[in-house]
Amino acid sequence: MVNSKACEELDTKVIKTGLCTLCGACVGNCPYLAAYEGRVLLKDVCDLPQGRCQAACPRISLDLDELSEVVFGGPYPEDGLGTARYVVMARTTDSKIRARAQDAGAVTALMKFAMEEGFINSAILTSFEDKSWPRGIVASNDEQILKCSGSSYLAAPTIESFNQVIQNPNHQSIGFIGTPCQVMALVKMRTAPPEISQNLDKLKLIVGLFCTWALAYPDFGRFLEKKISDPVVRYEVPPHPANVLSAYTDKERFSFSIDEVLPFVRPACRFCLDLTAEFADLSVGGGRGEVLNWNTVVIRTERGMRLFDSAAKKGVIETAPIPEGNLSRLKAAAYNKKKRAIENIIQRTGCTDDLLYLKGRPGIIKRLVAECREGSL
Amino acid sequence: MGNEAIARGALEAGVGVAAAYPGTPSTDIIDSLADVAKDLNLYVEWSVNEKVALEVAAGASLGGVRALTAMKQLGLNVALDFLANVSLTGIKSGLVLVVCDDPGALSSTNEQDSRNIAKMFDLPLLEAATAQEAKDMTKWAFELSEQISNVCLVRSVTRISHARGNVVLGELREVSARASFDTTQKPYTTIMGGAPQYHRVLHENLTKIAQIFESSPFNGYAGPERPELLIITCGTGWLYSWEAIKMLSLQDSVGILKLGTTWPLPGELVKRHMMKAEKILVVEEVDAFLENNLKVLAVDSLPGRDRIFYGKHSGHINPFGEINTDIVIRALTNILNTKYIIRDEAYRQKATEILNRYVVFRETQFCPGCPHRGLFWALKDSLRLDGQEGVLTGDIGCYGSGVGSTGFKQLKTMHSMGSGIGVANGLGKLEQFGFKQPVLATCGDSTFFHAAIPALINGIHSKANFILLLLDNSGTAMTGFQPHPGIPMNAVGDPAPAVDIGDLCRGLGVPVEIVDPYDIEDTTQKLLNVLRHSGRPRVIISQRECSLMRARSEKPLYQMDVVAHQCQGETCGCNRFCTRVFRCPGLMWNTNTKKVEIDQAICVGCGVCVDICPQSAITRKEIR
Repeated sequence: MVNSKACEELDTKVIKTGLCTLCGACVGNCPYLAAYEGRVLLKDVCDLPQGRCQAACPRISLDLDELSEVVFGGPYPEDGLGTARYVVMARTTDSKIRARAQDAGAVTALMKFAMEEGFINSAILTSFEDKSWPRGIVASNDEQILKCSGSSYLAAPTIESFNQVIQNPNHQSIGFIGTPCQVMALVKMRTAPPEISQNLDKLKLIVGLFCTWALAYPDFGRFLEKKISDPVVRYEVPPHPANVLSAYTDKERFSFSIDEVLPFVRPACRFCLDLTAEFADLSVGGGRGEVLNWNTVVIRTERGMRLFDSAAKKGVIETAPIPEGNLSRLKAAAYNKKKRAIENIIQRTGCTDDLLYLKGRPGIIKRLVAECREGSL
Repeated sequence: MGNEAIARGALEAGVGVAAAYPGTPSTDIIDSLADVAKDLNLYVEWSVNEKVALEVAAGASLGGVRALTAMKQLGLNVALDFLANVSLTGIKSGLVLVVCDDPGALSSTNEQDSRNIAKMFDLPLLEAATAQEAKDMTKWAFELSEQISNVCLVRSVTRISHARGNVVLGELREVSARASFDTTQKPYTTIMGGAPQYHRVLHENLTKIAQIFESSPFNGYAGPERPELLIITCGTGWLYSWEAIKMLSLQDSVGILKLGTTWPLPGELVKRHMMKAEKILVVEEVDAFLENNLKVLAVDSLPGRDRIFYGKHSGHINPFGEINTDIVIRALTNILNTKYIIRDEAYRQKATEILNRYVVFRETQFCPGCPHRGLFWALKDSLRLDGQEGVLTGDIGCYGSGVGSTGFKQLKTMHSMGSGIGVANGLGKLEQFGFKQPVLATCGDSTFFHAAIPALINGIHSKANFILLLLDNSGTAMTGFQPHPGIPMNAVGDPAPAVDIGDLCRGLGVPVEIVDPYDIEDTTQKLLNVLRHSGRPRVIISQRECSLMRARSEKPLYQMDVVAHQCQGETCGCNRFCTRVFRCPGLMWNTNTKKVEIDQAICVGCGVCVDICPQSAITRKEIR
């Protein structure tokens, strides 16, 4: 056996190298690991050669074709957006949600609707009540869902909460809202051995969020402390072309240029391929240009489509076609994120044969590697 | 038991006051005296530490009451400062200091030959070889002490103190009820006359004592008139030597000079016997104390005679660890060039095999339900989560096992009592040299009173950056639950005013947080919070009575069980988290079912393991 100790290998290959996304997949599945204040750490020595930690971790190894097969019944696509049925603009019709939402409230509205209609009976969401250390929570009513709307731009070990409720018989159909890395982890868990995957069919809905990066605490916290004395209650990245991150306290707004903030991006994000949460049932992001106050929604799976269409039909959300320019810009952005990730991976490993956590070579990855090779020549 | 014999000897001498701080192997002496204190009108106390105990005994002596103090070798070191002074000024009524050494360090952090202390301070030293002698010598020590107006030392070792033997009892003597301090006498101090003058008197005393020792019945020779080899021995060495000679049938060629008075040496007696033989083997426990003194005597008094000494320096008797009959047999067969098979090889192998099969290996560990386990677990987790590589310093106490896997290897330094806090004072002042790690020190409640308070005060004054983890388990647990000043009961079981540790710390102006080590989540959280602050000492008091002590009088808190279908055993992926990492002895891994079970015979129902199991397979039900 190659791995003598699974946990230690995870520690040395993923956590200590900055590949860990803080998704929380390994935590809650294993008593040896804990997520605390922006870090996943090994609390005790486990000498198991194979453990749940590695079976769940999307950054120790990930086979995109295998994940794609599990979710979509086919190989990983060439398209930068991943597997998509259609892309559309949407926004909530509920003014209460609109008031709290980051963009147009589609995520909150869809999750609330899914619970009301019995698609799910509980939802794993990320709570930003602790502004520095967002965590997963289990929501089982509208109010709890509404409380979690908005965005923090901070990584959260949300799957830890998922792992904790998955065995509980009270939670039979579970929904999840998460970032691309969290969604990848959940789907990888579906491909894992039975002790991890046995209850995953309770997961009835995954709503993915577009994500370019997440900030790393406590470094970002220390940066903020020097600039702002009051606690931050909300973050916002205003639409293009503002190019700033705004932090709101109860009294005022502080804006930092993105260039100032980028050094605090989690190192793990530099190796991320996924802008649009490609393995979710449906993925949601912001709008721009003429559809600024709308959400961009990528409908990916059968059940994602069923939920979305039903919500639209019942007037919970209103929809609009995506402007042609927006779609091509989104595809380009998604492709570019992949390209940057592959560049960074190759830079880290120093060779094109070793792509860190990426196992297998779907066509698009081969193409990106080839482009990198040409670029470096 | 040897220690009971020592207590009996003191009673036969009419001892009135006994004071000590517990320490194995000396503890039972005061425990035994405390048991009869009320009946015999004695005053017996567990003092705050050994120095105070010796001072209490000296006070009694100066007031005209015979007094005894007993301590282990490390305790004697605590009392040395006062001993160094009182040995010069002298005492009034008999004052006996019993020191119980621990060769082999069976229950100590060091191995020390305390006989050197008697020589260092020019005090008489008696060494018992049997339980009978332990009684008789202690009784005589009081008379001797009064004859020379100074402290008399009696040295015991674990195998004397803890061994049982027949003792012929003498009459009990009534305690004098006419105590008073004579204020017309010149003061007990060296400051008026000059210490060297007092020192001179001490040396004159030694000559007088040696004279008395010449006719002591505790010394004696047995063997042929002109032995081929003379064994000179004392204490446990006497019986080991006697047994070795018998086993080797050397009664006709080897003689034994047994000494009970080992400092100062009865020179004439020893010389007389040394002249009988060319070869001398010295058998004694720990240092070459007797051997060196005999050599000096031989060089000074028996010039021009070739005499070969065997013992520690020749390598025949080990100068560390315990000695035993086998060691003496090996020395004798080597010196006399004879053969003796102590244990034949086949027997040895068989015995080892059987032992390995039936005697379970047990590591040093916290008892089932020990509050320290919960505290160390919370500490381990909080230090990992905190991520600043906090360092825990400590000292000797049950919690000292925290260096091993039972304390999750959290304790990084362990020395004398209270030393963890002193060491933390030093580490806590290194910020200017780039030191960034949080520093934590641990000590028990009894240790806190014994030796930690000055170090805490030092830290407050120096603004040293450390956290004191005060593990309050309501007693001196390691030596057998003796009370200390924080307990509302004294040595004889009467109510006594208790000093509140928390109030004491708060009175010193230190922030104090109380945690329950059975609530590991809350304790972890509080530790994390405290780790975040820095700049001065902070105190966390972990409060839970020792589970063994509690089990004597109260029912378990919970009935503990394992829900068998919930425990996934080896397939869980937790890698036996409960029995491999948490390791409470109350949890058993069943190698047949490959699942955990509760050992109901030893589980005390603390309930902590419920919070450890990732599958919630362990349950607790409150017992009312």
